[in-house]
Amino acid sequence: MIELINVTKVYKIGVHEVVALKNVNLKVESGEFIVIMGPSGSGKSTLLYLIGCLDKPTRGKVLIEGLDISKLSERQLTELRRDKIGFIFQQYYLIPTLTALENVELPMVFKGLPKAKRERRAEELLEMVGLKEKKDRKPNELSGGEQQRVAIARALANNPDILLCDEPTGNLDTKSGKIVMDIIKRLNVEEGVTVVLVTHNPFLCDYADRVIKIRDGVVYAD
Amino acid sequence: MLIELAMRNLKRTKVRSTLAVIGIIIGVMAISSIGIFGESLKAVILENFKDIANEVIVTPDYTHGYTYIDSKTVERLKRIPYVYEVIPIKRQSALISYKDKKTYATIYGIEEKDVKSLFKLEKGSYRGCIVGSNIADYFKLKIGGKIRINDKEFRVGGVLRKEARFDINPNFAVFISVKDFDKIFKSKKEYEFVIVKTRSLSDVDKVREFVNKVINKRESKVSVFEIKMIIERINSILSKWTLFLMAIAGVSLLVAGVSILNIMLMSTIERTREIGLLRAIGAYRETILKIFLLEALILGLIGSLIGGALSFIGGYVIDLLILKTAKYVFQPSSLLYVFVGISFGIATALVSALYPAWKASRLEPIQALRYE
Repeated sequence: MIELINVTKVYKIGVHEVVALKNVNLKVESGEFIVIMGPSGSGKSTLLYLIGCLDKPTRGKVLIEGLDISKLSERQLTELRRDKIGFIFQQYYLIPTLTALENVELPMVFKGLPKAKRERRAEELLEMVGLKEKKDRKPNELSGGEQQRVAIARALANNPDILLCDEPTGNLDTKSGKIVMDIIKRLNVEEGVTVVLVTHNPFLCDYADRVIKIRDGVVYAD
Repeated sequence: MLIELAMRNLKRTKVRSTLAVIGIIIGVMAISSIGIFGESLKAVILENFKDIANEVIVTPDYTHGYTYIDSKTVERLKRIPYVYEVIPIKRQSALISYKDKKTYATIYGIEEKDVKSLFKLEKGSYRGCIVGSNIADYFKLKIGGKIRINDKEFRVGGVLRKEARFDINPNFAVFISVKDFDKIFKSKKEYEFVIVKTRSLSDVDKVREFVNKVINKRESKVSVFEIKMIIERINSILSKWTLFLMAIAGVSLLVAGVSILNIMLMSTIERTREIGLLRAIGAYRETILKIFLLEALILGLIGSLIGGALSFIGGYVIDLLILKTAKYVFQPSSLLYVFVGISFGIATALVSALYPAWKASRLEPIQALRYE
């Protein structure tokens, strides 16, 4: 379960203070599929990164499975991200020098899993996203949709409970976008993975159990 | 996997990595080649002094009032173990003349066989009076010519080759038998100094110990001076000099280090978002640090090993140019300098990468991911 209690996030840019989130309260149950909608600059990505333990709130509490992330050390946060959270980004962020298979292996490398085990798991995951035949290709030899599917496989490498998606279809055409969204939905339904997805594309709301709208750092519709 | 990742990262910027490696190669090669040359130089010097390195010069201990070494002491020196040859020598300055020319020279009273053991002839034989090359030149002496020392005539039997020793300068000297010396200088059976030869260099220390035990037992009658010490001192000076030259060569390694620092810093900036991603999916700060240090280590290893191997060529060329011989390039002590060069090469690469690697590891994942 994810819980945000009175979360405020203030960024300092030079001498200016930018309030990205203002007293946000949010509760996401395990296995839920939530879409956070909002225009750019609304604070939706900040919200996602806070849930993803990439950042800490200025005020308030973010609880992941009951753990207050403000109280965790740098190392514990890293381990939490590695073991419990999967990230999917708009720009895929695959490592260009590594093959699809190796990209999927990376989170398992960081967890210290043995090579044979990593490769088996990575192949399974690539098969799941329909890219088993292209496992030895480098990212630049894959289409945008394929790259995003590799990124999904990577996000699932360490069996996370939570999948955080930042505009996962933002760079994709409608068809590829649909394939990606179907995979994410299937994971949510079949594997019970909690999905928090940030977008400004209203079509993605169809996949959600719940839609949260945010503007100027304030949640105004749930 | 991390090593693989590091290697592929380096391949991504092939030209840059190659240039960095070349920098290390040059640095390591410069250091090791000069080290090898220094060692060769020492070997050459030892080779040159080989004939006299196993000599010990025994002089009277002036501080204890002894001004001569008596023949009894000479006899005792002969009985010391490890002693191979004992050459007692008398010495006096005198005015010598040939035809109408005159000059001062050092006259040595020394047996014929001992002259043979110490010096090489330019011309003539070891019989009769032997003169140094400068004197022969000055008088325009011929073999069989007669020179006068203290109004006594001596027939010149041989002229010595020009050379130098620490104890005797043969070039301005005249060597006559001890008997003749005693006659013209009315000298007693006492000697100025004694040259003691051992069979090998390692026996020198033993002989010195025995001299102190046997002759200087009750009071210090003689001082012992080892030629070996001079060589050791020369070697120690050469070592310092080599070290200094290596330090200068090290500057090129420093430059290579700065270039690694530079390319690594560029890499951290170029790969900011990638670093953010790695941190987001579970890489510790140390893992990022490790990846960058691995990259530097690979550059350092490749450069240093190639540089180390090439330094033999460098050493060979320098030796050939300066020492005119390359036979000392592959002696075991050369390997030590190659090892030193390689170690410095690797260390330079690692140290240079420390700051960029640290900087990369300190990136906040959120800022790194949002980096444009």
